[in-house]
Amino acid sequence: MPSWITAQLVVSVVTIAVMIHVMLICVAYFVMMERKVSAYIQDRIGPNRVGFDFGLPPLKFLKGCLGLGQPLADGVKFILKEDYTPNRVDKILFTLAPIIVVVPAMIGFLIIPWGGVWQCPDIHIPFTELVIPGAPVNVAGAVFNAGIVYLLAVAALGVYGVTLGGWAGNNKFSFLGGLRATAQMISYEIPMGLALLAALLVYGTFRTDSIIQQQVDAGWLIFSQPLVAVIFFITGLAEANRAPFDNAEAEQELVGGYHTEYSSMRFALFFLAEYSHLFTSAAFFSLIFLGGYSIPGVGLTDPSSTSLLAVLVKLLSFMGKVVFIVFLGMVVRWSIPRLRYDQVMMVAWQGLIPLSLGLVLVNSVLVYLDMATFLPLLLGNVALGVVTLAFAPLLKQSTVNRRIPLYGSRFSPMPGEAVQTSPTHPMARADG
Amino acid sequence: MTIRSEDILNVDPKPMSATEAVYLPNIIKGFGTTMRHFFTSFGQGRTSRVMQYPEVRREHLPVEKGGQHGANFRGVHRLNRDEAGRVKCVACMMCPTICPARCIHIQAAESPWDDREKYPAKFEIDELRCIYCGMCEEACPVDAIELTTEYDIVGASRQEMIFDKEKLLHVYDVTIGKKPM
Repeated sequence: MPSWITAQLVVSVVTIAVMIHVMLICVAYFVMMERKVSAYIQDRIGPNRVGFDFGLPPLKFLKGCLGLGQPLADGVKFILKEDYTPNRVDKILFTLAPIIVVVPAMIGFLIIPWGGVWQCPDIHIPFTELVIPGAPVNVAGAVFNAGIVYLLAVAALGVYGVTLGGWAGNNKFSFLGGLRATAQMISYEIPMGLALLAALLVYGTFRTDSIIQQQVDAGWLIFSQPLVAVIFFITGLAEANRAPFDNAEAEQELVGGYHTEYSSMRFALFFLAEYSHLFTSAAFFSLIFLGGYSIPGVGLTDPSSTSLLAVLVKLLSFMGKVVFIVFLGMVVRWSIPRLRYDQVMMVAWQGLIPLSLGLVLVNSVLVYLDMATFLPLLLGNVALGVVTLAFAPLLKQSTVNRRIPLYGSRFSPMPGEAVQTSPTHPMARADG
Repeated sequence: MTIRSEDILNVDPKPMSATEAVYLPNIIKGFGTTMRHFFTSFGQGRTSRVMQYPEVRREHLPVEKGGQHGANFRGVHRLNRDEAGRVKCVACMMCPTICPARCIHIQAAESPWDDREKYPAKFEIDELRCIYCGMCEEACPVDAIELTTEYDIVGASRQEMIFDKEKLLHVYDVTIGKKPM
């Protein structure tokens, strides 16, 4: 047996293979959940007709099923529709963009420690004498020192697909959507990185397993750093291009945004990427602020319990937190109207970036003074919030969007200037 | 025409208060509204506004709960028959004249019966052009054309949705029980 085949490798491969499918199914059902949640919020019912009976009389008892067959039907529809490539697009980029957008969204979850540590028994390979010796393994794609940095880097790549999709479509609305997405992603990566820096200053590590261990010891970070958590959640929504920051696909302004020219499965890939981003950023949020898989008071979710049952319980608790955060994102989407483009930029540059810079300052001072425990951290956050509340009204508020007279135009002529506003074409004049 | 500055009315919102200026408290208040609707309409709960259409129809509901008011409803047309079962229409051309959508086409012919001079040899209504305003019903001097309570008509082609005399008389036979003349 070569020495590089270890129990960790086997478990990592199995975890990746299982979790990618869990994620794909989750994404399909997130779409349905989004439709259901929005329906209930708007006093409707949402999809409730498509079951698993496939129109066959013997399967009649599977009809309905609360509409749980809807994602399946959607997928079949996407596959069966015509995959249309418009005439004058950049063919290579047009094909490449959905791939570039979906790959980063699907590899980011690699470092999420779904099940903590598992005491893996010896693995006997069937029909051979070979044995992989058992060892404590991490039930995750990979646990390495730069885990958080990897996730940040990969998540930032997603914008290339959006921009390329907008450019390749040869459509000005797609292009505008792509441009907006680029500016927005760049703007929101700064407060996201700063908020993460504020959190990581407290942890002092990039390793996901020790982040969870520290939260088990000292309490979840969301309780001691609520302001950081809120900023991180907002920037997570913006990075995933979710409402209220979905300027890149503002239907009312840009037709469909960057994916206007896409159809069939290629459009579905953009859709998939959006929800995968949501899934990954929800998992990221749970990892940093909600204690990962751990639940206080439940012994099985403690990092020190390593049985197979504990792994499954941890996985369930992690998924529960992810679904909760995704639900929260949906509630945000259906409560808050989309920000105007200048407002999006204003929130980032005038609101979140100064605030997160302040948080980094406060936290680094606390860490330097060796006071990074629960109460000083919370007090630092609250103090910064109070200072912001006190100073926000003093700042210059943005002016109201108003009709600006364009002097010299036919609607606002220069003083004393005679302007003809009646039609000049003889046919138009004859019309009366 | 120049827009005069005194004609321009600027409606400015009130300046934001301290809590409004940071948005977050009001956003959380908004979540309260959202979640109230979520939980009260969950699973077709109290505030749910949805009717399960093919199973529940408007004609099953009382009028005050949004049901169909049969006497006033303007649905598909029908051509009424008289006591002898003949078409009641006398081809006076009032309805195609008044029709704002010009969807009624009548070809008049000499009546084979003694009690009237003309009758419609052809009577066609394009149900896709029709705007269901009910003017034909108002104009008809002999109450021959009427709008019924049927609204869920379908067809596989545009040609199929042009109802001729036989079809309109058939609508009468089907709906006479629901809506008497």
